[in-house]
Amino acid sequence: MKNNSIYLRIILFLFIVILTIVSSCKKLEETPKSFVTPQNFYTTPAQVEAAFAAAMNNLWDYWGGYGYGQGTFVNDDQLDGGDLVISRNHGSDLWNRHYAAIANLNAAIGAMKKGSLGAGTSQDVYDLLMAQAKFLRAYNYFMLVRMFGDLPLLTEDITDPITAKIGRSPIADVYNLIVSDFTEAAGKLPAEWPTAQQGRPTSGAAKGLLAKAYLTMATAPLNDISNYQKAANLAKEVIQEGKYSLVPDITKVFALETKYGPEMMWSFNSNYADINTDPEIYKPGLLGGWGDFRVQREWEQQYPKEARKDAYILTEIDGKNYTEWPDEQNPFIKKFMYDKQEDFDNYSSIMNMPILRFADVLLIYAEAANMANGSPTQEAVDAINKVIDRANGYIDNPLHPKLTTGMTKEAFDIAVIEERNQELCFEYDRWFDLIRKRILKEKSIPSIQQNFSEDDYLFPIPDNDIQLNPMLTQNPGY
Amino acid sequence: MKIFFKYILLLFTLIFFNSVYAQERTVTGTITTTGEGLPLNGVSVSVPGAKIGTTSGADGRFSIKLPRGSTQLEFNYVGYTTTRVAVGAGNNLKISMAADVRQLKDVVVVGYGSQKKSDITGAISSIKGSDLTQLSTQRVDQALQGRAAGVMVLNTDGAPGGNTTIRVRGSNSINGGNNALIVIDGLQGGNLNSLNPNDIESIEVLKDASATAIYGAQGANGVVLITTKLGKKGKPVISYNYSYGISTLRKKLDVMNAADFAKTINANALTRTAGGAIPVPIFSDADIQKYEKNGGTDWQDVIYRAAPIQNHELSISGGTDNLKYLVSGGYLNQQGILVNSEYQRFSLRANLKTDINKWSAFSLSWAGSKEAGNSPPFGSADISFLGNSVNVAPRWAPTEPIYDSIGNYSVHRPGYGASDTWNPLASALEPKVDNNTIRNVLNSYIEFKPFEGLSLRITGGANIININNRMYHNLKTYEGKQNTGLGLSTESMNVRYQNSNILTYDKTFKDHHITFTGVAEQQYSKFNFSSLRASKFLVDQTGVNNLGGANIVVPTSDAEERVLNSYLGRINYAFADKYLLTASYRADGSSVFGKNNKWGYFPSASVAWKASEESFIRNLNVFSTLKIRGSWGITGNQAISPYQTLSRISSGSNYPYNGSDGTDLGFFIANAPNPSLKWESTTQTDVGIDLAVFKGRLTVSADYYKKTTKDLLMSRTIPGYTGFTSIIDNVGSIENRGIEIEIGGDPLVGKVRWTTGFNISANRNKVLNLGNIDRLGYRTTKGGYNVNDPFMYLIVGKSFGQIYGYSYEGTWKTSEAKQAADYGQLPGDRKFTDINKDGVINKEDLTVIGNAFPKFIFGWTNRVSYNNFELNFLIQGAKGNDIFNMGRIRMETPGEGTSSRLLNRWTPENQNTDVPAFIDGKTREEAGLTSKIAIGGDQRISRWVEDGSYVRLKNITVSYNLPKSITEKFRLSNLKAFVSGANLITLTKYTGYDPEVSSYNANDAQIGVDFSNYPQAKIVNFGLNVSF
Repeated sequence: MKNNSIYLRIILFLFIVILTIVSSCKKLEETPKSFVTPQNFYTTPAQVEAAFAAAMNNLWDYWGGYGYGQGTFVNDDQLDGGDLVISRNHGSDLWNRHYAAIANLNAAIGAMKKGSLGAGTSQDVYDLLMAQAKFLRAYNYFMLVRMFGDLPLLTEDITDPITAKIGRSPIADVYNLIVSDFTEAAGKLPAEWPTAQQGRPTSGAAKGLLAKAYLTMATAPLNDISNYQKAANLAKEVIQEGKYSLVPDITKVFALETKYGPEMMWSFNSNYADINTDPEIYKPGLLGGWGDFRVQREWEQQYPKEARKDAYILTEIDGKNYTEWPDEQNPFIKKFMYDKQEDFDNYSSIMNMPILRFADVLLIYAEAANMANGSPTQEAVDAINKVIDRANGYIDNPLHPKLTTGMTKEAFDIAVIEERNQELCFEYDRWFDLIRKRILKEKSIPSIQQNFSEDDYLFPIPDNDIQLNPMLTQNPGY
Repeated sequence: MKIFFKYILLLFTLIFFNSVYAQERTVTGTITTTGEGLPLNGVSVSVPGAKIGTTSGADGRFSIKLPRGSTQLEFNYVGYTTTRVAVGAGNNLKISMAADVRQLKDVVVVGYGSQKKSDITGAISSIKGSDLTQLSTQRVDQALQGRAAGVMVLNTDGAPGGNTTIRVRGSNSINGGNNALIVIDGLQGGNLNSLNPNDIESIEVLKDASATAIYGAQGANGVVLITTKLGKKGKPVISYNYSYGISTLRKKLDVMNAADFAKTINANALTRTAGGAIPVPIFSDADIQKYEKNGGTDWQDVIYRAAPIQNHELSISGGTDNLKYLVSGGYLNQQGILVNSEYQRFSLRANLKTDINKWSAFSLSWAGSKEAGNSPPFGSADISFLGNSVNVAPRWAPTEPIYDSIGNYSVHRPGYGASDTWNPLASALEPKVDNNTIRNVLNSYIEFKPFEGLSLRITGGANIININNRMYHNLKTYEGKQNTGLGLSTESMNVRYQNSNILTYDKTFKDHHITFTGVAEQQYSKFNFSSLRASKFLVDQTGVNNLGGANIVVPTSDAEERVLNSYLGRINYAFADKYLLTASYRADGSSVFGKNNKWGYFPSASVAWKASEESFIRNLNVFSTLKIRGSWGITGNQAISPYQTLSRISSGSNYPYNGSDGTDLGFFIANAPNPSLKWESTTQTDVGIDLAVFKGRLTVSADYYKKTTKDLLMSRTIPGYTGFTSIIDNVGSIENRGIEIEIGGDPLVGKVRWTTGFNISANRNKVLNLGNIDRLGYRTTKGGYNVNDPFMYLIVGKSFGQIYGYSYEGTWKTSEAKQAADYGQLPGDRKFTDINKDGVINKEDLTVIGNAFPKFIFGWTNRVSYNNFELNFLIQGAKGNDIFNMGRIRMETPGEGTSSRLLNRWTPENQNTDVPAFIDGKTREEAGLTSKIAIGGDQRISRWVEDGSYVRLKNITVSYNLPKSITEKFRLSNLKAFVSGANLITLTKYTGYDPEVSSYNANDAQIGVDFSNYPQAKIVNFGLNVSF
């Protein structure tokens, strides 16, 4: 028996040794091999830029042709088929996509702030990356705040948005972030990039978008008119820097050779590796397309006859007006038809979808300067007349006369908004002008006006988010 | 190969020489059991002190050469007392062997140990390897079918080397998988396909939590324990088994001959008047006369064949006082009934155990196998059904020839029939598929037993799987034509290591018997994978073997690691051999669990009362066993894949950020992390009773169980502002309840001996919770069948397998013309149940039209022996499950379908049918009717739902053991010849190829759809078993 207990002790000892070996052998923490996690990504400039590309990819799939983004803005007065009935969940795709982009940008910003790039990265490189990240984030929030109003404001400081308690921040707070991000970007981004990087955001684009943000803040719903002057100043800076100019030939504003300038300031980029969409979606059946986006007849009818109209809107094929076409009796969007036959046959449009053009900056300046000054200044008149002159093919057009300093502030303002309507048509701009100027009802065709309510000025917060987070309030009317 | 045979010959010669050399006098005799006097087969007979031995035959007879000077024979048989007999001058000895009461108590393998069967407190089904091999079978998973209550084996397809689904006590999980854990000789994560059934000593199926909780986070779906054979002490036993069989298509789908088809097409064509067209027949009278003469093409005959199966198994086993061994090899070549399909398996096993000294032992085993298989794609394979031979063969018009006039595969003529599909023979013959799997399983242990009752076993094992699959669809295939050649090449390596350290202490003092088991275990696995998908080949002949010739090559690769560290303990306690208690506890630390939940804990407890040991029961003299059991425990399903709890940066959202001509890589955060994600957890309670009466000739075992599984892994939606739409989380909950009964007996024990076993089980399950939704729908098609919306549903409060759709009542009779008109229909049109009675058939009328899970399943095994003859058969079946026979949709489409059912279509003379008349919309319009059947072409209708119940003679084997007197002449210890048949008789109402089918098995919510799956075969086999 004594013998036995010795053995017992030896065996038990052995077993305990094994126990310790087992617990120390392989660790339970996981280190993935075929992918990385946000914790060990963003370590090189190229990785950070890959996050920018991904953030843009998220949006581009929607705002580009494939996402049929126009469907969300069909209630403006340009597109056919609106009824001013905005249903629950309207715009929820955009909400999800912009926030997905923001999540990727916040991760990059947060990681860079914590030093993910390492000490070997120069301050210049760091600043340039940070400026781009802030630019992109500001753009996303600028889109969201105009559609949805008060927003859950996620920044790099909220590391776990899933468990964090988050409500909606007031519109003004959102704009504070937008202004601060765009300001940082405007200060640190270069005025231009080398040709191989021509699609990246520039300081000019940052200033232009910041000017647009100020202009929006000066109008509804914030109506903080002190921002007119800020908008005017920034737009003026862009104009005076001279990096951008109008494309003289109105038929070449949207063309493959002008995709990256001199007028295009920032856009959703496209090439054959990443085509924008099938060109077919813009073309009517008569031209072999699918005719997905029709232009409202009433809107086309009030558009003055001029060179620009023929460049931007398709109203005739082989001399036949759309009213005489066999079935699709609507005008179509011509702006985005800048494809070659080969592209059309291969279902691959490589047009860029504009986000900011120099014409927009000129009009922002005209509007802001007039409102800040209390009447149109010569510079404001000059700015808008550049756009009008080109629209008319550099001839005087009684249907579309140039503006003068003799106009009242109000008349000039109405003329600027109308010019924006015509120049920036189908570029996702009209809806935002209609709501910031609170003219949605009056501009809608009479047959749908009875559906209008003030609630239409904001999209609903998506049902999903409302149900899952009781801290979120719904916009009125939904 | 030649050298190998030389060695075998040499080996044989040595063995024979050995016995010839020592020959002196032949002693014969018969061995029977004490008491019953039954002949004992397989008793090892040896001469003490001499290296001579033999075994008794089925009739109990033996014959041995007794060397000069030897006077004694020793008889050894498991479960019986070893007997020594002095041999006098006489011959024809009568040996009677008594059962060893101590040994006879069957030993059952349990997790990390073994136990006397009588001491088991949990629910375990035990199957002896020898019972499996009584029926000719090549696959262990299939051999399990019908053997154990609560174990559902579903042969989801009939391809050689095809798939089975094994469910122990129902389905616990939605996304986590429901496959039982396979443990082979202690090594977890084994594979049944590659095992040679002949190598198996026993199979235990652990069912309740008391038995499975010892496997913790891997135990929730039940555990199948397999123990392989080891040689017995004595001279080498060489056995060789051979079988040859032919498999044929069990049943053809009932399709029309060419003439009937042509007439039916014409009849339909003549009803087409839309657009004011004047209908014209498609086939002329002359055509039809021609078809009447030659019958046309029977496409099922074209692609199915009688296919041979060949199986060889050779094993050598034996042992000395301190060394036991088994070496076995097998070769299986199974041609499939579908042309161009086959499965080959080479398997080798070497098991070795040696006692180093009195207190330590060492064991080593290696099992290697190479499987090679190929089959044209079928079922839910990732190709279009238009080029799936199983799909298109019964659908191709019998009026079409196999080849065109210049000898190429014919193209279906347009205008009728399945003209959009590919030639069936080309679809079957042309895909070049070459799948190879090589497995190496190594398993070893060293064991210390310093004194009786204490042992420490340290095991080390590895399971290595190499897969190399290649496939090429050439230009003669549908996929190849679409892609200008389509090739796929996949390589993977999966290595799994396991080290278990098992301490066992067993002690009896007075009335107390206690066994303690403590285990520390670590498992590590690594998986590497790469694949290439290539298309646009310049040279069709070389295909996937020359990827350089492909214009488009898309590579993917992946790597994963997994660690499982575990500690567990178990106490078995018995008092007075009457009251039994088992308690176990396992802690599993798994790398795949979220950071906040790395360790899972799995307790269990069970008690049993051996009432038959109580004197007041014993005195009744009725029960030889009466045991009442009860158990409770928690098990887990670590269904999380590696890294699933981590946030992942994924490539694949490229965007030309720079605005240059090339794209820029986009890496995005693909999913939100979930550091709290953990195992699915199943709590199971079981009560059971085991009884044996009539001196053990009738045994009954019954169990009732209830399992509740919570924390089901499901995707949970989260607010969009987080940047994600959903997260994988522990959300849902499911309940399973059921009863199981196993009855065994020896109804006849005389000259005709009959042993039988019957088992039946019924499982009911219920979805309790699906998180923030109340139903989950699954759509199983890729289009083309108008089943575009989900129809397989999980619904809170209902069981798994809900089939959802429109309730179809058949056709409107002439006498119902008025009611038909209310729905805008004519007599002969389809009649649906208007569930909400609103006069329209639309989405509001969707209802449950079937359930894919059986009400109960059963199996009945039988073994009848008389003299040297033995008959074994297994009847098995399922009752109450429905099958959505999706293939019928296109086979019964007017103007296209080939089904003979179309001959039974509604006509004014044939109104009692559910096959609608050929009526076109125009006719209804002219009758002033507007259809109120607003379901479009939706085919989620109960017309396609069929009763899948069946009873099947799964296997029957008749064998004959040659009498000893003859085998002796050939120096054989045993020679058995047999004939067997599989799937010979099936009773079912199901009209598809086979009621045992499931085309979509991604998760259990989709079981029960029949779509173009490889049909089951009927097999007739004959063979020989020889042993020396």
